[in-house]
Amino acid sequence: MSATLVPETPETPEKSENNGKAPVFSVRGLWKVFGPKADRIPGSAEAGLSAEELRARTGCTAAVRDVSFDVQPGEVFVVMGLSGSGKSTLVRCLTRLIEPTAGELSIDGEDVLGMDRNRLRDLRRHRAAMVFQHFGLLPHRSVLDNVAYGLEIQGVGKAERRARAAKVIEKVGLTGLERRRPGQLSGGQQQRVGLARALAVDPEVLLFDEPFSALDPLIRRDMQEEVIRLHREEGRTMVFITHDLSEALRLGDRIALMRDGGIVQLGTPEEIVDSPADDYVRDFVRDVPREQVITVRKAMRPANGDEATDGASVAPGVTVAEAIEVAARSGGPVRVVENGRCIGIVDHQRLLAVVAGVEAGVVPA
Amino acid sequence: MMNSKRVRRTLVAATGAVGLVALSACGAADTGKKNEVGGDKAVTLTVPSWVGAEANVAVAKYILEKELGYKVHTKQMGEVLAWDALSKGDIDGILEDWGHPKQEKQYLNGKKTVVKGGDLGVTGHIGWYVPKYFADKHPDVTDWKNLNKYAEDFKTSESGGKGQLLEGSPDYVTNDDAIIKNLKLDLKTVYAGNESSQITQIKQNVKNKTPFLTYWWTPQWLNNQVDMVEVKLPEYKTGCDADPKKITCAYPKTPLQKYFNADFAKNGGKAAKFLKNFKWTTEQQNEVAGMIAGDKMSADAAAKKWVDENKPTWEKWLP
Amino acid sequence: MSVTTTAPDKTSLEKRDPDGAPRRAGGLKALLTHPLGRKLVPLTALAAVLIPIAAVLWGSGAWPSELSHDVKAPLDSVNQWIIDNRDTHPLFLYFLLYFSNAATDSVDAVYNLLDSLGWIGVTATAVLFAWRAGGLGRAGLKVAGITLGAFAVCGLLGMWDPTMITLALMVVAVAVSAVLGALLGLAAGLSERFNRMLRPVLDTMQVMPAFSYLLPMVLIFGPGTPAALFSTVIYAVPPMTRLTALGLRGADPAVLEASSSLGASFWQRLLTARLPLARKQMLLGLNQTIMMALSMVVIASIVGAGGLGEEVFTALSTTDVGKALAAGLPIVLIAVWLDRTTAAAGERFGATAAAEATGARRLLHGWRAWALVTAGAVVAAVAGRLAGATLWPEAWVYEISTPVNKFQEWITNNLYQDVPVLGGTKVWADHITEWMINPLRDGLLDAPWWLLLLLVAVLALLVGTWGTALTAVLAMAAVGVLGVWPKTLDTLSQVLVGLALTLLLGFAIGILAARVGWVERWLRLVLDVLQTLPQFVYLIPVVALMGVGRVAAITAAVAYALPAVVRITTQGIKEVDPAALEAARSMGASGAQQLRQVQLPLARPALLVAVNQGVVLVLAVVVVGGLVGGGALGYDVVFGLARGELGVGLVAGAAIVCLGLVLDRVTQPTAATRKES
Repeated sequence: MSATLVPETPETPEKSENNGKAPVFSVRGLWKVFGPKADRIPGSAEAGLSAEELRARTGCTAAVRDVSFDVQPGEVFVVMGLSGSGKSTLVRCLTRLIEPTAGELSIDGEDVLGMDRNRLRDLRRHRAAMVFQHFGLLPHRSVLDNVAYGLEIQGVGKAERRARAAKVIEKVGLTGLERRRPGQLSGGQQQRVGLARALAVDPEVLLFDEPFSALDPLIRRDMQEEVIRLHREEGRTMVFITHDLSEALRLGDRIALMRDGGIVQLGTPEEIVDSPADDYVRDFVRDVPREQVITVRKAMRPANGDEATDGASVAPGVTVAEAIEVAARSGGPVRVVENGRCIGIVDHQRLLAVVAGVEAGVVPA
Repeated sequence: MMNSKRVRRTLVAATGAVGLVALSACGAADTGKKNEVGGDKAVTLTVPSWVGAEANVAVAKYILEKELGYKVHTKQMGEVLAWDALSKGDIDGILEDWGHPKQEKQYLNGKKTVVKGGDLGVTGHIGWYVPKYFADKHPDVTDWKNLNKYAEDFKTSESGGKGQLLEGSPDYVTNDDAIIKNLKLDLKTVYAGNESSQITQIKQNVKNKTPFLTYWWTPQWLNNQVDMVEVKLPEYKTGCDADPKKITCAYPKTPLQKYFNADFAKNGGKAAKFLKNFKWTTEQQNEVAGMIAGDKMSADAAAKKWVDENKPTWEKWLP
Repeated sequence: MSVTTTAPDKTSLEKRDPDGAPRRAGGLKALLTHPLGRKLVPLTALAAVLIPIAAVLWGSGAWPSELSHDVKAPLDSVNQWIIDNRDTHPLFLYFLLYFSNAATDSVDAVYNLLDSLGWIGVTATAVLFAWRAGGLGRAGLKVAGITLGAFAVCGLLGMWDPTMITLALMVVAVAVSAVLGALLGLAAGLSERFNRMLRPVLDTMQVMPAFSYLLPMVLIFGPGTPAALFSTVIYAVPPMTRLTALGLRGADPAVLEASSSLGASFWQRLLTARLPLARKQMLLGLNQTIMMALSMVVIASIVGAGGLGEEVFTALSTTDVGKALAAGLPIVLIAVWLDRTTAAAGERFGATAAAEATGARRLLHGWRAWALVTAGAVVAAVAGRLAGATLWPEAWVYEISTPVNKFQEWITNNLYQDVPVLGGTKVWADHITEWMINPLRDGLLDAPWWLLLLLVAVLALLVGTWGTALTAVLAMAAVGVLGVWPKTLDTLSQVLVGLALTLLLGFAIGILAARVGWVERWLRLVLDVLQTLPQFVYLIPVVALMGVGRVAAITAAVAYALPAVVRITTQGIKEVDPAALEAARSMGASGAQQLRQVQLPLARPALLVAVNQGVVLVLAVVVVGGLVGGGALGYDVVFGLARGELGVGLVAGAAIVCLGLVLDRVTQPTAATRKES
């Protein structure tokens, strides 16, 4: 497939600052190197070496190398990669649970790396809360007190924090289990507690570190729905780490795909599936059901003649899969309508081409 | 890493704080001479490990408590430790001492924290003993010159081909290794390490009529149960034990001594006077000891029985 | 053995292989690459250079006197200095005496409290708190029942007052050890460097016999409560320290990270996450600390601690085994009571019982329950006092002394000698002395000193690393430098024979117990009692059976070390992967085949641990052996203690520690496996 079809990837951070609001997280040239004299690696001659060569040459491992991105307010930003790709290290760098080796990092325009201990603690207490893969619940405390834990650390009084925790527990659907201990809950319930604990402090941004990978597939799906619902209701900014591509595609507004510590591609799910930046990404997305990711905006062709006024219509944001359903019902081509105006047409051929993963040929007149 | 540094700092600070508290509480600490529960009318006596001495303490305790209204505490400890405790004032008196020249020099003449309390009235004697059943069969064993002849009889698996001389607790005064060497005896000392081990071994031997040779002494309650005959060592003459390495003579007959803490002797009131007057005979001590060890009576019960029967004797001790 | 192959016997080589040279080079190469060869070849080279020099310089007999250093004289002068300055020097007046007085005061205070509670109050308090610790349910009732029984028997044996004195000392000792241990453990759990510093100290303390602490303590504090208390504390601190550190280090990292991510400060994280997570381990540490303190409190009565230990000693002076047992049993009972109570509390931490309590049941949870329990105890104490029952009623004392003595005498009379066919214990003792201990001791004494050092080095190297070998050799050499080489070898011969007997019996019993359920149940009870009972109680039966001498000492050691060896063996065999066993059974392996081919090989790590534990425990009672005619180092420690001679006692104590280090290093399998895996 021709490379010319790959538009603007990897997307430059500047490019995404288009809606006028300052990004929640702004990351520039971030490095995290483990090993002896780690601080000498970024910017040195060795910086460009492959992971294996770097280890052989210096004894160091670069978990995060030269990563830049912005997280916009209200979006779900997914960092996706296989184990060892550095994604978990990256998310911990955001609140300096792991101290970055080099680079710039700011939250709401405020320099995170320059914060003293108190300011950093304040950041963790109020602005960014995290949900962990292995839950990290306190086994000796009840569900209620686990959820209230973040508030307790902030110094909120017992009565108030319990009242607030009770509300969050209701929100995540754990009502009735307040007095149980974490050990008495199922994995899914435990992660709901973890989620509630993060929500209870009402943070500006939620960080998820592979939160559902330890759960059964069915429960995982439930929890994903839960996150989607919460995001819809509250519009909170989320940074979501996962190794599961379908989870990334399902949740992410934008996805950063990581490999060996660096970002290989950053874009919307559609961009990544439709236009993989390299063979690695292509290999990755090969089995993705494209029709569920690619929107009709991407698949449509210009309308010919009266096609623009007649027949079933869909919004440009719907997936090809949904458009197929509409097309199957109506029997004819489907119009893509935005703001009452027809901006294009998807017909059977176009839709099938997406499913088949082939380039739709020259459009017949 | 940040944490460990902080912990270290905290620990240093805590140590400092504790140190300051200790210093601020300054002024020398109380040197030990504490009044036990019961206030001034309390006396503490040491109970040595042998029963004769236990009998002394039991009778003294009974009379002090019943007749003079004192509270008596007893503490069990080794003889040398008892001297040390006596000097510190942890105990007020030792009622039966078999002679500890080193300690006497140190505390009695040197630090002057201990004073003599007079004779107990009992005469102690240490020597080498064989059981009567063996002496009856071989009368000449009671002379040391013939011991080598019988070394074979005293042999055990512990004595490495020589005759065994059974020794007792490490507390006890003994010159036996030097005597064996200087008299060229075909014997070897085997330390039981503990008086009860020694007694158990003797009883077991007696039961099986096994010949044995042992370091032993009178008065001893076991003498009431087991007949033993002393082996005559070269006669004791004053000064013959001056150099411990060159000893070739027997042990002396020791008039057993009482010792008191200097403070107690001066300020101990009636209790101190009573304990100074306390003096009885070997037979009387053996009577009480026999009740305790032979009849397995409790020390208190034995003391009560003796006190009830011997009023004229102890009435003279009362101040 | 691999060493000899570097210079093989020429004739046999030629016979087997005419083209010898290349093959030999190949063998050498293989030897150098083999892990054992890699260690032993350099050692052989080193030995080949050093030993001739050493042998020429200092001869090949016992440890050369030129290399000994007299430490007795300086120690004795330290001894004298302390005695002279104890009442006047500022170090004592302004520092140590505070500790000493605080110790006496606090033990007195606890004793007076127990005394004023009266026997009803004390029993009620103990029972109620045991019930609460057990969780107020059925488990709690069981613990409460055990507690009631334990205290009642203490009273019935006529040991109420001594039990309270021991308990008072225990309360203070355990409180101090727990706090000290928790603080040290906290520091070690949080600071890697501190942990590394503390580790060897704890390891050394593990092999240090309890008696070694007594002597310096007595010297500094004089005989009495302080010396007993501080020795007990030193002895009991290590398990608390170790397990607290372990608990803190083993805390679930996910929880700690979660706590940090919510912005918890260091102290918040410590108090809300780290410590609560380590709670179970710390409780286990407390449990072990209590058991250690209990065994030491008895030993400490040698220096005037009073209580049950003193009763045991008094009974011994009249060789009254029954009375000694009557004083020893309360110690077992206290141990059972405390063990069950802390274990029940520990299980509750782990349990996930629903905490949903409403109405009346709510009264039985949290602080309310503690308040109720306390109130109940106070009521019982007041009621007891009003009824005038502070001392255990004399009418309720049951004398066990006479029947026990009769039983003991019957046993010793019938087993001592002239037993048909078997011969009797005395005969066995003589045979063991003549055929095992004496040849071994003479062999060790006749061996050149450098050969023993080399042997230690090789053994340590086989199981461990160069570091292990160096520690072991240095410890062995230290024994020579201290000037107690022959005595140490004498003790070593006893320890080795004791160890051999312990392992022989322990493995046999352990295997039997692992295969037959009811044997294990009954055996465990007997072994637990044997191990908790103060060792002094069975001094007399041992002497009565074996006669004064080294076999008596070895018997005492075997009795002490056997329970642990049996337990570890049984556990190791029972925990063998059931899948492997099932596979063997499916192929039709007989019981003996299963044992030989599957269970024993797979339980090897556990068996190695049993060997190591056996060494440490056998060595721990060497000093007790000194009390029954074991002689050598054990007697020296007893001698030093009894005579107040720091020089003799401390040197012997140090030699025992060194011997312990040597034996521990050459039997500690962990070092080697860690290296290889």
